Amino acid sequence: MFNRENTASPGRVRWQDEAALMLLGFAVLVVLPFVVSDSYSRHILIMAFIYAIVASNWDLSLGYGGVFNFGHLALFGIGVYAYGLLTKFLELDPWLALAASGVVSTLAAILVTLPILRLKGIYIILVTFGFAQLVMQLVLSQSDITGGTQGMVRIESLYIPGHNLIRDQKFGYFYIALGILALSTIFLRVLVRSKIGASIIALRDNEEYAVSRGISLARQRVITLAASAFFTGVAGAFYAAYQRNASVDVFGMSLSTIILSMVLLGGTSTIYGAIVASFVLTIFSESMADFGAWRPIITAVLIIAVMLVYPSGLSGAAQTIFRSLGRLRANETDNRPDATEPRTSR
Amino acid sequence: MDAAAQIFAGGLFQGSLYAVMAVGLALIWTTIGVFNFAHGVLMMLGAYVAWQLTEFGLPFFAVLPLSVLLMAGFGWALQATVVRPLIGRPNIVLVVVITTLAAASLVENGALQIWGPRSKQLPALGDGNTMIFGVGISLHQLTIILITPFVLLGLWLFLHKTRLGLALRAVAQNEDASLLVGLNVRALYGLAFAISAGLAALAGIFLGGYRFMSPVMGADPLLKALIVVVFGGLSSITGPIFAAYLIGFFEAICSYYFGLYWTPALLFAVLIVTLMIRPQGMFSSKTRGLA
Repeated sequence: MFNRENTASPGRVRWQDEAALMLLGFAVLVVLPFVVSDSYSRHILIMAFIYAIVASNWDLSLGYGGVFNFGHLALFGIGVYAYGLLTKFLELDPWLALAASGVVSTLAAILVTLPILRLKGIYIILVTFGFAQLVMQLVLSQSDITGGTQGMVRIESLYIPGHNLIRDQKFGYFYIALGILALSTIFLRVLVRSKIGASIIALRDNEEYAVSRGISLARQRVITLAASAFFTGVAGAFYAAYQRNASVDVFGMSLSTIILSMVLLGGTSTIYGAIVASFVLTIFSESMADFGAWRPIITAVLIIAVMLVYPSGLSGAAQTIFRSLGRLRANETDNRPDATEPRTSR
Repeated sequence: MDAAAQIFAGGLFQGSLYAVMAVGLALIWTTIGVFNFAHGVLMMLGAYVAWQLTEFGLPFFAVLPLSVLLMAGFGWALQATVVRPLIGRPNIVLVVVITTLAAASLVENGALQIWGPRSKQLPALGDGNTMIFGVGISLHQLTIILITPFVLLGLWLFLHKTRLGLALRAVAQNEDASLLVGLNVRALYGLAFAISAGLAALAGIFLGGYRFMSPVMGADPLLKALIVVVFGGLSSITGPIFAAYLIGFFEAICSYYFGLYWTPALLFAVLIVTLMIRPQGMFSSKTRGLA
């Protein structure tokens, strides 16, 4: 179903190599706040981290699991509201609420998996889409608790003893977001490289064969969705704590479209692709702030263009470029210009 | 008695709107096997095109067919740009979702740029109100209730009694065999999109004469149409039609007894239960194909 070249089967890259590269990547991000000192740029980076967490977790269910879960942003929204409600009404410690929101999202994911256990393809899209709308309607209708269309304001923020998170030019929040992203990425990569990950991929690529080898479709699907929900919910809770407000916009189609395009632009079944695409798209979108109302139009055209030219996303494009570079080097002796043309593999 | 008649009229009206929307969605799904998330904005654009044409001073009886035709052309163009190049790709269902979503965002923001955020309204299909069986109903709504069955019947006749309709159904049933007998499958895909977009435009004109128009007016009807096609099953044209009226009545009953707030939640609950019991929809067999 998906491009086989993009599937990271366990054992392809040695985990030591991958860990070293990941460490290098995060090391670069760790020193960033010392280079980028103004709070606005840091804010953009924090948002990019949040999107990266949501998008890369979506890649787990969508890319690896092949489950077209269109309610993923609802899991994020549930995290946002869970944090807001837990800190407001139960007066839970913010850090505890952050973790608890992840658990709430996980439970919600298990709940939404139940009706889609028997479904395939487009029907999963429709049910999960319906689930997202249902959650939004519930939030809207319970306006006494959730604030309805007004949203929630003055949500409790996170705290670090002996440090003021508000007046540090977003220094602290940067590292908290980066920390969550690091945990989430390690969790996702370990999961997809594990035996469970292999069985999830097997179910996606050849369901009948995988089932005949004793893999339970229902159990793996619940695991996939639940695993993709935890850090999504935590990201939602962090978002609520960081913005200090919550609104039903998080359930809207526009945010879903943006994050989905991050997953697909980055290339599915890579985890890293979604993270890189989140950075690229967030920063690109910010750099177009001057275009005002034209911004969504430009973004939409760009998404369509990339999907038409490189349906396997930016990671597919990168692979094609690397391959044709390799071919270029190999072909330097015989001059056949047409052989060096970048071409999609299929 | 009064309540029952009220619910009946409301259900019939909503059902008609949903039927026109949902049939277009189902047509694309059955022939091409993709879901068009831009269907809602096609409806919105149809209403705006009609509004623009009336602003030019055209009489309304000319505006209606003209905007439906223009939108059919737009639907064909949409298909040619964001769907056709992807046909044959292994993950087409997913990629088409994102390209049609992006196209929807493009059209929606484009409409916002061209026509601005201020609400507009189309002239109604009929002025004034009338009383039927003791229920007050606007002539506009009554006209829609009366026109819709003819539109749907026309579509059914086209699909079942003409050669072109037969070809469309053939593509829906078996694409490879259709290619083998020499059908122009690409042109038929374009035709399916054009018909679908024309129907969406019609629904937009229906809605625009009754509610205020805005660039986001297509979102809610699209959602309802999604529910209808899931409920009715995607494999036929008749299934969604029955489902549209059923959902229309269900909604009318719910909003009468439980209030507007709870209606969407109840609707989704019904949807999810339906899918758990009958994943292929209420009125359909498991095969894909227009029947």
